[in-house]
Amino acid sequence: MSMLELRSVSKRYGQGANEVDAISDIDLAVERGSLVAIMGPSGSGKSTLLTIAGSLEEPTTGEVVIDGARVSGMSRNDKARLRRRSVGYVFQDFNLLAGLTAVENVSLPLELDGVSMKKARAQGMVALEGLGLADRAESFPDQLSGGERQRVAIARAVVGERSLLLADEPSGALDSVNGEAVMRMILSACHGGVAAVVVTHDAKLASWADRVVFLRDGRAVDETLPPPSPEELLNPDAPNPA
Amino acid sequence: MDDFRLRSERRPSEGGIPARRAVTHWAWRLFRREWRQQLLILALITVAVAATILGSSVAVNNPPPKDAGFGTAPYSASFASYSAKAQTFIAKAAHLGTVQVIENVTYSIPGSINTYQLRSQDARGPFGGPMLSLINGHYPSSADEVAVTNGVASAFHLSIGKTWKVGGVNRDVVGIVQNPQSLLDAFALVVPGQVTNPSQVTALFDVPASAIRSLSEGVQISTPASVAASNPLNPETISLAALVLGMLLIALVSIGGFTVLAQRRMRSIGMLESIGATDRHVRLVVSANGTVVGIVGAILGLIIGFAGWLAYRPSFEQSAHHLIGVFALPWIVVMLAIVLAVLAAYFASSRPARAVTKIPIVHALSGRPAPPRQIHRSAVPGVVFLVAAFLLLGYSGGTGGGNGSGGAPELLLGLVLLTPGLILLAPFFLSLTERVSRRAPIAARLALRDLARYRARSGSALSAISIGVLISVIVVLAAASRFSNVLDYAGPNLDSNQLALHTAFPPHGVNIVHRNAKGQLVPVPNQKTETATPAQLAAGAGQIAKGLNAHLVALESPNAFLSGTQGGRNWSGQIYVATPQLLRAFGIKASEINPKADVLTSRPGLSGVSGLAMGYGTNSKKSVLRGGPAGSDRHPLIQEISALPSGTSAPNTVITEYAMKRFHISMSTSDWLVVGTQSFTAAQISSAQLTASTAQLQVESRNDIPSGSTIINWATLFGILIALGVLAMSVGLVRSETSSDLRTLAATGASSYTRRTLTAVTAGALGFLGALLGVVGGYIAMIGWLRSNSLNGGISALKDVPFGDLMLILFGMPALAAIVGWLLASREPAVMGRQPIE
Repeated sequence: MSMLELRSVSKRYGQGANEVDAISDIDLAVERGSLVAIMGPSGSGKSTLLTIAGSLEEPTTGEVVIDGARVSGMSRNDKARLRRRSVGYVFQDFNLLAGLTAVENVSLPLELDGVSMKKARAQGMVALEGLGLADRAESFPDQLSGGERQRVAIARAVVGERSLLLADEPSGALDSVNGEAVMRMILSACHGGVAAVVVTHDAKLASWADRVVFLRDGRAVDETLPPPSPEELLNPDAPNPA
Repeated sequence: MDDFRLRSERRPSEGGIPARRAVTHWAWRLFRREWRQQLLILALITVAVAATILGSSVAVNNPPPKDAGFGTAPYSASFASYSAKAQTFIAKAAHLGTVQVIENVTYSIPGSINTYQLRSQDARGPFGGPMLSLINGHYPSSADEVAVTNGVASAFHLSIGKTWKVGGVNRDVVGIVQNPQSLLDAFALVVPGQVTNPSQVTALFDVPASAIRSLSEGVQISTPASVAASNPLNPETISLAALVLGMLLIALVSIGGFTVLAQRRMRSIGMLESIGATDRHVRLVVSANGTVVGIVGAILGLIIGFAGWLAYRPSFEQSAHHLIGVFALPWIVVMLAIVLAVLAAYFASSRPARAVTKIPIVHALSGRPAPPRQIHRSAVPGVVFLVAAFLLLGYSGGTGGGNGSGGAPELLLGLVLLTPGLILLAPFFLSLTERVSRRAPIAARLALRDLARYRARSGSALSAISIGVLISVIVVLAAASRFSNVLDYAGPNLDSNQLALHTAFPPHGVNIVHRNAKGQLVPVPNQKTETATPAQLAAGAGQIAKGLNAHLVALESPNAFLSGTQGGRNWSGQIYVATPQLLRAFGIKASEINPKADVLTSRPGLSGVSGLAMGYGTNSKKSVLRGGPAGSDRHPLIQEISALPSGTSAPNTVITEYAMKRFHISMSTSDWLVVGTQSFTAAQISSAQLTASTAQLQVESRNDIPSGSTIINWATLFGILIALGVLAMSVGLVRSETSSDLRTLAATGASSYTRRTLTAVTAGALGFLGALLGVVGGYIAMIGWLRSNSLNGGISALKDVPFGDLMLILFGMPALAAIVGWLLASREPAVMGRQPIE
């Protein structure tokens, strides 16, 4: 069963003469453990696709299924619960809450879900340790570097039992070294069974994905397996995940 | 799907306590980080709570304590003399329980309208302890001893060790005492049994509750609670009413503040939603912040208010004339102030909290302000409230046969209903600005259009301004209508440079006093008071004027009177004769007087009153007076002369010599007016009283009653200050909503003129609309109340429009707000330049 399924999803903004189709008739399935990259020029509907996949926005038509649950029939609270438990979101500009420390940011989804502060914090620390940020756990976002902030954001997106990771230009605000590090972490999460969808402009980073979907004017115009990644080139015996 | 369901069942659907804790924790952190952005609301709440605590403590402690006169006794009964009824009652009460009897006889303090009491009270009695304390010396223990209060000691120049004849007995002054519950209580304390002919006998007693019925037959028994309940508008009630109104205004202003705050946190809220926060969690973030602001403001207000009370209490005890405990605060009001502060902040934040959950997550994450929600709110609900208020006020005004005496609940409800009426009408009034703006220059057009577009912010500010102005206008109109009644003339009695001298009727049984070599007043042995002759009285008055280096005007009373009714009220006030001396004293030349005028007056509008008749030869009760034949002139010619004094005890209305001759009216000197070149000091007045005491005269000095114009001016100032205060707090909030527009304008080359105009027009338009709404509400209230209130003259009482004050409120205040807005908008405020906090 796919972790994420988009079935004939379309999104239309505006009314009458101002009507614009942001995405049209998109079908997409993402299996557990796989990484899908979405590429396309500005205004092609990449971010809209991601927000709909993450239940942040309703499609105009079509259906979104996450972990077997149809999102369109859910109440706002059910969607919120789905996001807390199944979907992790990573934004280009990190979107960490300024008033909370790194570990509090990471454990927040768990606390919102009713996990006690102590347990949530322990899991948050585990997630931060996994990303090499244990020593920055008590720092506030404005005391962290850009790379550290994005790592905290990834930790927040994967903490708990979440199995779908959606990343919108996760390396867009980072230099190439940090950008690659971030992609490595997302890939690592995928190896742990998480299904990931990454929106990116960067073909080099997209090459880390198992599959690349190209969007243009809101339509999926191509879907391809990426060329061999640097790791695969260095290790020709490694099986191709596709 | 099954997996999702299973996990759902393990935890509360909305995260339960851990989720609420996490969200509240974040709200608290945000408050700590951004308290400066909330300083305005915090300051408002702090000041309101502090002012409530200090104000209500002063208001509640200003009158004597509610158990004043009871001591520690639960019951009290008073009798005019030691009658058989009183003796029977006291005997029965003593049989059933414990009784303490206090006897008083009242004497005048010579030369003053004040009195003192000779009081027999057991200083160690079972109940009277709180009513008596010893300052110096000891309590009297035998018939020839007396203890006096400072007031009595001062009036009679007494001190411990001196002998004073009081109550017909020479007594040694052995102590200085006071009544802690009433420092103004002037009395001479003697042992029980020394007041032989009391004019008041008070029994303080405690009996079983079951015995009260048998005791109360034919006797009025009071309890501290029954005395307190006899005045429903006690200071606590007034404090609470002011508190509720104040918190309502704060809540209205705070709505705008919390809305802007929620907008500034929109991205953070979007982030929270993106990681799974529910609407409830989001609402909790904003409302928890509001609650935190309320709690912090309330605590700060409590600390500041209590500190202020501690600092002010010592001097307040002197002005309140009774001792006040450190913790004698109205704790119910204090607790309610704290609770209401928190509730006001909570409710003010709950509306923006609801609104923020309606913003789509993607929109919130983008940090762009959501497009303003179109409010197509009808004016009808507001009008319905105003009509209901109008009808209730009319009903209230018509009770008690047209004097409004029996309609307090309807009056209160009517005034309360005006508030939601104005709040509901505010958005409608704001929509008018958009129509007005169509032909305005760009900056003004933008400002006016923003007011209409962002009504969530501007509406609450407008409501707050209009309620402040409403209160002000009601006071202005009520004062104008009451003080415009020239027949029932109200206001201060005299100017501060005037003293009125009246003939004093000597008290029964008081010895004549005279000054001794030391200037002390001492009784002349075996010499009773006798009525002074007119010449002696005039000489005494002359002596007083000379002592004050002031001019003396003899006031001649005619055997005539004026009668008439206007606006349900009858003529009131003393009339005198326009003697040449009186006219000269006020600089009125004979040439200024119409030779055919019967009456001269300084009361504005009196000459236009129809039906004012002048009777002569009798007084107003038709008793025949000395002088010529009785009769009346139904159409006396009245001339208004502003040079005559305006005080109610001054000769503001005088009969001309022409009328005196025409109707053969006689006159006699009864009063004098002392006119100084400058205000009389307290020492001068005291000196005049001393002199008057030896001349059987009483001195009347200026009282504290404000004039109509004073009340109107203060009310106008109050309304303007409230409006300007709300504008100062809300214009920045309203404009910060459109800060991105401002940046865009700056980027497209708009100068500081545009920025200044935007702020000035926003402030001016909000001020004007608030003033207009408040004035409309005020007139609705007054017309509603007066239309059936014949005592106050019906609607015609509003014919004298306080034009200048209304113009100040309607145009002066908005103009001032616009000017201040223009001046302060020279630099872009930091709040506009700052990016939303994430």
